[in-house]
Amino acid sequence: MSFLGLIPRNVLTRKVRSSLTALAVAIAIMMVVAMGVLTYSLKQTAISVLEIGKADFTVAQKGVSDVLYSNLDEKEVAAVKSYPQVQETVGVLVAGVNFNGNPFFLELGIPPDELAPFGVQILQGRAYTTDATDEIILGFRTAEDLHKTVGDQVTIDTITYNIVGIYSVGNPFADAASMLPLSWVQGRQRLSGYVTLLFVKTKPGTDLGALQAQIQHDHPELACVQTASQFGVVDRNLGLISAADVGVSILALFMGAVGVMNTSLMSVFERTREFGILRAVGWSRGRIVIMVMGEALLIALAGAFIGTGLGFAAIQVIKSLPQVVGFFHPQYPASVFGQALGVAVGVAFFGAIYPAARAALLEPMEALRHE
Amino acid sequence: MSNGNGGSEGPAIQAIDVVKLYDNVTRALDGVNLTIACGEFVALMGPSGCGKSTLLHLLASLDITTSGRIIVNGRDLRSAGNDRFRRQEIGLVFQLHNLLPNLTAMENVQIPMFGTGTKHAQRLQRARELLAEMDLSDKEKATPPRLSGGERQRLAIARALANNPSIILADEPTGNLDSTAVDHLLALFRSIRDEHGVTILLATHDVHVAEAAGRIVYMRDGRIVESSQPEGERASKGK
Repeated sequence: MSFLGLIPRNVLTRKVRSSLTALAVAIAIMMVVAMGVLTYSLKQTAISVLEIGKADFTVAQKGVSDVLYSNLDEKEVAAVKSYPQVQETVGVLVAGVNFNGNPFFLELGIPPDELAPFGVQILQGRAYTTDATDEIILGFRTAEDLHKTVGDQVTIDTITYNIVGIYSVGNPFADAASMLPLSWVQGRQRLSGYVTLLFVKTKPGTDLGALQAQIQHDHPELACVQTASQFGVVDRNLGLISAADVGVSILALFMGAVGVMNTSLMSVFERTREFGILRAVGWSRGRIVIMVMGEALLIALAGAFIGTGLGFAAIQVIKSLPQVVGFFHPQYPASVFGQALGVAVGVAFFGAIYPAARAALLEPMEALRHE
Repeated sequence: MSNGNGGSEGPAIQAIDVVKLYDNVTRALDGVNLTIACGEFVALMGPSGCGKSTLLHLLASLDITTSGRIIVNGRDLRSAGNDRFRRQEIGLVFQLHNLLPNLTAMENVQIPMFGTGTKHAQRLQRARELLAEMDLSDKEKATPPRLSGGERQRLAIARALANNPSIILADEPTGNLDSTAVDHLLALFRSIRDEHGVTILLATHDVHVAEAAGRIVYMRDGRIVESSQPEGERASKGK
């Protein structure tokens, strides 16, 4: 038996209590994992909207609660186009409609002559015409899901369209959407002359940062988005979700730490005599601290392992909810698991530091007299 | 097994005018002076509450004196690093054995060796040797609740010897044992003293146990009142 081997022995000696504590930690970690994956995935989904076009950066209205509520009028679009560094722009009106069980099916309104600059590749059929009111092209993923092809019809939000083409943009989000003439979508949304996002392609050698700063300086109501970290400027909801994620992590840390502290303290009270014996045979206070902290860390790591599994299960449940079908595509970044591990270690540290100090500071004689 | 008697030329234990007050009122020790030579086997005798255990606890650095000095192997205990001192110099045997009930006999013996730099294989070998010496080889994997009273006390002695201490302090180690087990234990203490030169101070209120020692120190009301050799010891020296 090694000193480190003593730690799991002590944990397993109190199986029920250790298991219940690990479960409490697991629930906390589950919240961290589920919320982390949810936040990250929603952010990626939202960001992928901005990445649909093959643009250098995207311009949207600043400070809206949701990026899809961004409205840019013709003057603003023209102003951005007028910068000499700008090679071309594509304005897109994005509308979310309830379709085929997906409450967030995207209709992208784009003029047909801007499809190619936007990076749209027509795989089958042709593009719609500028003034068409009954023509639509479907992303190939949508077409596959609906088992539709060119020449078929599709009814979206009570309107029946003829499918004239199947496209691919190379973006999973856009390839699972549809595209229609801009004027038609503007009319349907009563947003004549407006677009949601403006995708900007610049001339070679342009200093993107300087151009973005210039646009934002000249037009404070606009925000240029190029990276994920800039996304919060044009989507406050996502900022709120991210804040909620941080809040959940802090709550999980607190909840787990209280559970671990409760267990560690009870264990220290029960084992007072044991600590007295260990001190009497020459164990240092530091060794006692390491042992108690090690036991808490082991329980927390077991909780983290179980909690991660529960987090995956929770994500599967959330994924199947009708409210999120279509725009929640779970992604599991390493950072979320790093965050969960960090919370577990924090839970062990904050939960066990006081009990460990209490155990270490026991006077051997006082502890040996304990019944 | 060997010990270096702490590397000191002088007495193993010196208590000089030691006073111990509890709550500034109860005088548990009242000016105790005691000198024990290296390799001596001394019985500390007296009625319950006379201060035997208090003196042992002070000698083991489990508690501190109110006044007076305690010097063990030439080191003043007020300046000694207490954890290391207990680990290296002292082997403690308690009346209630104080073994860890969830650990096996082998593991209990290894407990004091953590933090001494002893390697795993050496710890195992040392624990096996000690269990063999205490006639507990067949109980290596047994936990204390599965051992008899005598076996537990022998296991406690094995643990006390784990780090080759120069001094063993035993507080009423025979208190809960039957006469056969007591005789076995006393034979063990004598063997440890004779073969390894370990200094032994054993507190007891049992005359029969005290007579196993080379010297008996009598205590009453926190003071040492008499020091004498047992009859057997005098007879053997007179021959």
